Amino acid sequence: MIKNKLILFFLLFAGLSSLTAMGQKKFTISGYVKDAKTGEELIGATIIIKEIASTGTSTNAYGFYSITIPEGKYTVTSQFIGYQSKSETINLIQNSKIDFTLEEKASNLKEVVVSSERKDDNVTATQMGMDKINIKEIENIPVIFGEKDVLKTLQLTPGIKSAGEGNSGFYVRGGTADQNLILLDEATVYNASHLLGFFSVFNSDAIKDVMFYKGTQPAEFGGRLSSVLDIKMQDGNDKKYGVEGGIGIISSRLKVEGPIVKNKGSFTISGRRTYADLFLKLSKDTSLNKSRLYFYDINAKANYEINGNNKIFLSGYFGRDVLGFGSRFGIDWGNATATLRWNHLFSEKIFSNTSIIFSNYNYKIHLEFSTTKAQIISRLQDWNLKQDYQYYINSKNKVKFGFNSIYHKVIPGVVTRESDSTIRQLNLSNKFAWENALYVSHEIKIGKPFSIEYGVRLSSFSAMGPGDFYTYDASGNITDTAKYTKWRFVKTFFNLEPRLTMNYILGEKSSLKAAYSRNVQNLHLLSNSTTDNPTDMWIPSSNNVKPEIADQVSLGYFRNFKDNMFEFSTEVYYKYLQNQIDYKDGAQTTLNENVESQLLFGKGRAYGVEVFFKKKYGKITGWVGYTLSRTEKKIAGVNGGNYYPAKQDRTHDVSIVCMYQISKKWNVSATWVYYTGNAVTFPSGKYQVAGQVVNYYTERNGYRMLAYHRLDIGATWQIKKNAKSEQSLNISCYNAYGRENAYSITFQQDPNDPTKTQAVQTTLFRWVPSITYNFKF
Amino acid sequence: MKRFSIIVSVIILVYITTSCTKVVNINLNSSNPKLIIESGISDQAGSCRVQLSKSVNYNESNVFPPVSGANITIADNLGNTITLSETSAGIYTAPLFQGVAGRTYTLTVNAEGKSYTAISTMPFPVTIDTLVQDSASSGGFIGGGGGKKHIFVWALFRDPTGINNYYRFVEEINHRINPNIYIMDDELRDGTLITRRISERDSTLKAGDSVHISLESIDKNVFTYYDMVDQLSGGGFGGQSATPANPTSNFDNGAFGYFSAYAVKTKLIVIR
Repeated sequence: MIKNKLILFFLLFAGLSSLTAMGQKKFTISGYVKDAKTGEELIGATIIIKEIASTGTSTNAYGFYSITIPEGKYTVTSQFIGYQSKSETINLIQNSKIDFTLEEKASNLKEVVVSSERKDDNVTATQMGMDKINIKEIENIPVIFGEKDVLKTLQLTPGIKSAGEGNSGFYVRGGTADQNLILLDEATVYNASHLLGFFSVFNSDAIKDVMFYKGTQPAEFGGRLSSVLDIKMQDGNDKKYGVEGGIGIISSRLKVEGPIVKNKGSFTISGRRTYADLFLKLSKDTSLNKSRLYFYDINAKANYEINGNNKIFLSGYFGRDVLGFGSRFGIDWGNATATLRWNHLFSEKIFSNTSIIFSNYNYKIHLEFSTTKAQIISRLQDWNLKQDYQYYINSKNKVKFGFNSIYHKVIPGVVTRESDSTIRQLNLSNKFAWENALYVSHEIKIGKPFSIEYGVRLSSFSAMGPGDFYTYDASGNITDTAKYTKWRFVKTFFNLEPRLTMNYILGEKSSLKAAYSRNVQNLHLLSNSTTDNPTDMWIPSSNNVKPEIADQVSLGYFRNFKDNMFEFSTEVYYKYLQNQIDYKDGAQTTLNENVESQLLFGKGRAYGVEVFFKKKYGKITGWVGYTLSRTEKKIAGVNGGNYYPAKQDRTHDVSIVCMYQISKKWNVSATWVYYTGNAVTFPSGKYQVAGQVVNYYTERNGYRMLAYHRLDIGATWQIKKNAKSEQSLNISCYNAYGRENAYSITFQQDPNDPTKTQAVQTTLFRWVPSITYNFKF
Repeated sequence: MKRFSIIVSVIILVYITTSCTKVVNINLNSSNPKLIIESGISDQAGSCRVQLSKSVNYNESNVFPPVSGANITIADNLGNTITLSETSAGIYTAPLFQGVAGRTYTLTVNAEGKSYTAISTMPFPVTIDTLVQDSASSGGFIGGGGGKKHIFVWALFRDPTGINNYYRFVEEINHRINPNIYIMDDELRDGTLITRRISERDSTLKAGDSVHISLESIDKNVFTYYDMVDQLSGGGFGGQSATPANPTSNFDNGAFGYFSAYAVKTKLIVIR
C-alpha cells in the first residue's frame, strides 16, 4: 500500500518537473552569499535576476544558492535584510560560480531611507505558518533579567503561546510543549530551558538564524506534531579575531571568534554563566549561603573549507543547571549536543549535506538524610545520521530528498540508595528505539502567481529490546510480561506523512496560501503537573503507546501595504489529533516502572484564527498579534468521554510589541501580553477523611486560571558604535505595572479559621528591573 | 520517591523568586453531596469503627453532615459476621469484635438505600524496636527559620524480608493525635533496619511530652489511598498535579473513603 503510494508520488513528481524542463540551452549560476566582515554565510539571502521578472531564489541553510536560466547577459543581485544589496553582471555562456559578500548597513536608522530591497517575502514565499527571527531585530525587545532570547520573542507572535511564568515550554497551535521539535545545528534539544524556563538554552550571541514552522513543516522535518524550531549557530569570523560579551545583574556572557585559516576556516566559542548564587553566599542565613543555584552553557563551532565543493563543520553545545543545598540535596540537569557536518557539491545543481549528530539530556539528583544517601540518574541519548540533498533543477523547480536514522536510548531512572552500609539499586527498564525516515519534496512555480511545495515523509519507529515489555489490563495490572533480547524488534510503526503548501499571488501586494500536513510523533514527554520539571520523562512509542498523529489544514491571507512598510496576515487552522496522551486520575509518572499503565489515550482537536499586523521599518516598528483558539481532548475515562479543554487551551492571546528609535543613540521599547488563563481542575466540594479536609473534584479542566497580562519596558543606550567596537547599555523592567499574575492557585485550610477553606494565589514576579552592559571589539 | 519532581520545583522556585501569595475569590461550582466512609478494624480490641459523613460545597464551613441510620456489617473469611451499632451520629462501632492478622475482612454499608462493599486483608504486625529523639535547627532543608531548635522522634524497626510491607505511622502527643499522614513502603528497603523520622520539621515537642508512636501495617490499596489523600491535602507551591483526582477508594458503588484492616504495634517515648 505504502509502496504503491510512493511509486505514484514519484511518477507525479517526475511529470511535474519535466513540465518546465524543455526549451533553449540553459546554464546554472551558483555560489555562496557571505557577510563581508565576518565571512559568515547568510541564510535566506535572495538572488534576483533583473532581466527575468519573478525569477529568483534564496540561499539555503548553508548560504548556498543555485539557479538555472537560459544563456544570455544578466544582472544578478543578492539582497539580505540589514545588508547592502550587491549586483554583478554576467554573460552566461557556461555554468558559473558567483559568490557574494554583502556589507552590513552602518546603522539600523539608515534602513528608513534605503528601501530598495525585496521586503515582500511573506507574500511571495510558498511556505506559510512560518516565522524567521532576525537576531538583530530582537536585540531591543525587553525581556526578563535583560537576556535577549529567541524563545521569548517567538512567544510574542500569534499561534505561539508561552506556557506561563516559571514554565519552560511553549504551546504552538494547541500542541503541548513536547510536540515542538527544537533543533540546534540539527541536534534535538530535549529541554530548551534553564532555571525552569526563565532563560532559554539558546545564547543569542551564538545564534545565526532561527526558523520556526508552526504550520506545515517541510518534509525534511519530522518527529513532532506541532512545530519545528530550527536554530543555526554562528560559524565564526574567518577574517579576524573578535571578542564580545555582556555583563548583567545575574548573568554574564562572553564570545570569542576568529579564523583558523584566514578565509578558509573559523571557530567561535561562546559561554554564559549566571551568578545569583554568589549573592546567596554573602547571606548570613546559613540556609541560604550553602545553596548552589546557577546555570552555564557553552556553544562552540568550527568550520573548514576543504575546497570549493567540500566544507566541514563541527559544532557542539553543553549546558548545565545546578541547584543544591549543602550536601543534603542537589540536582543538576542539562543538554549536550554535537554535530559533525559535511557539505558537498556534486554539481552546481546538487547540494548535499551529511550530518552525524549526538544529543543527550540527563539529570542527576542527590539526596542525603541522616544515614541515608540516595541518588537518581536519568538520561535520554540519541545517535543520528542525516543525509539531505537539494537538487536545483531549474529556476522553477527545486527538489529536496534524503533520509534520517536515529537510535534512541532512554534510561528512565536508576535509583541508588545507600543506608547502614547497604547499597540497593532500583533500575527502571531502559528503553531502546530506532527511528527512520525517507523524504522527498518538490517546490514548483507554475506561471507567475502560483507555486506549490509538496512532499512526503515515510517514517518508521521501532521499539526494541533488550527489556521487559508489559501488557496491562484496563485497571493497569500487568497481565503479561514479554522479554526481548538485544536488537529484537518489539513493535514497528510505519507512517506516511504527506505535506503540501500552495501559494497564489493576487496582484503584487497580496497572496492566498493553503496547506495540509500530517505529522507523527513517537517520543512523548510525560508531565503530569501544572509546571514543567527537569525530571519529566520521555517515553518512546511501544506496544502500549501508539504514535501520536496530527492532521492540520490551514488557510492564510497575506497582504503588504505602503511599499511593504506594513505587513498583514491572517491564518486559520484546524488540527485533528489521534493517540493523544492523558493521565489516569492521580497518575504516578515519576520513577514508575509501569508508567504506561498510568496513561489514557484519545483524540484531540485544535482550531483557531491568528491575526498579525507588523510595521517593518521606520522610526517606530513593532507588531500586534492576536489568536483566538480552542484546544480540546476526548479521552475515554475522562469527563464521561466528552470533549474537554486541554491544559494548554487559551481562548484569547494578544501580544503587542513596539520599538521606537528616538535617535542614533537611544532606543526604547515596550511589549504587552494578555492571555486567557489555562484550563485547570479546581475542587467543587470537600470532605473529611483520615483527619484531613480533602478536595472533591467533579470535572477535569473545568475551571480557568485568572487572565494573565503584563507590560515590559526597556531602553537601550548605544554608548559607542564604530567599525572597531561597540558598547551599549540596556535597562529594562519586566512586569512594569506590577500585575499580580497567578502562577498557581491552591486550596487550603484558612490558617485563621480552621473551620474554613480558602483559595490562595501565588505570584512569582512583580517588577523585575535589570541592567546589562554589552560590548564588542 | 514519588514526589521528587514536586520537591525539585518547590525548591527551585523558593530560591529564585521573591514570590508573594494572597487569598483570592474563586467562583466554584456546587457539587452533589457524596457519601464518605472512613472505616477500620485492627488486631486490637474495640478498634472496629466506621464513620459516615457527606461532602459539602467548597465555600461552606468544614462541617460535614453525619449519615445516621445505616446498616453496617463486617465479616471475615472464616464466616464470622457482626453488625455494628450507631454509638453517636454517623459513628458505628462493634466493641467486642477484634481482628486477627492474616484474615480478610468484608465491610458492607447499607445507607440511604444503597449498598457499598469494601475488602481488606490484615497484614501481620511489625514491632518497633526503639524510639529515639533527636534535635536539629530549622531551616535545614527549605530555607528560613532562624536556627530554632526542634525535637524529632525517630522509629527504628526491622522490615520483614521477602514480602511487600506498607506502613502508616500515627503520632500521639500527650494523647492528642497528630493529623498528618506518615506512610512508607519497603521498596528498596526490604528486609533492612529502617530508621524513620515521624515528627514534622517544625515540631514543637518539648521535654516532658509523652509521645506514642503506632506502627500500622496496612494493605496496598489502603496505602495508595493514604498516599493520594496526602498528596491532595499537601497542596503545594509548585508542581501541583495537573490531573488532581479523588483518591481511589476500595469501596464499590461510588462511595469515597476507605476500609482498612490493619495490625498495629505501639511504643511510648517521653521527651527528655
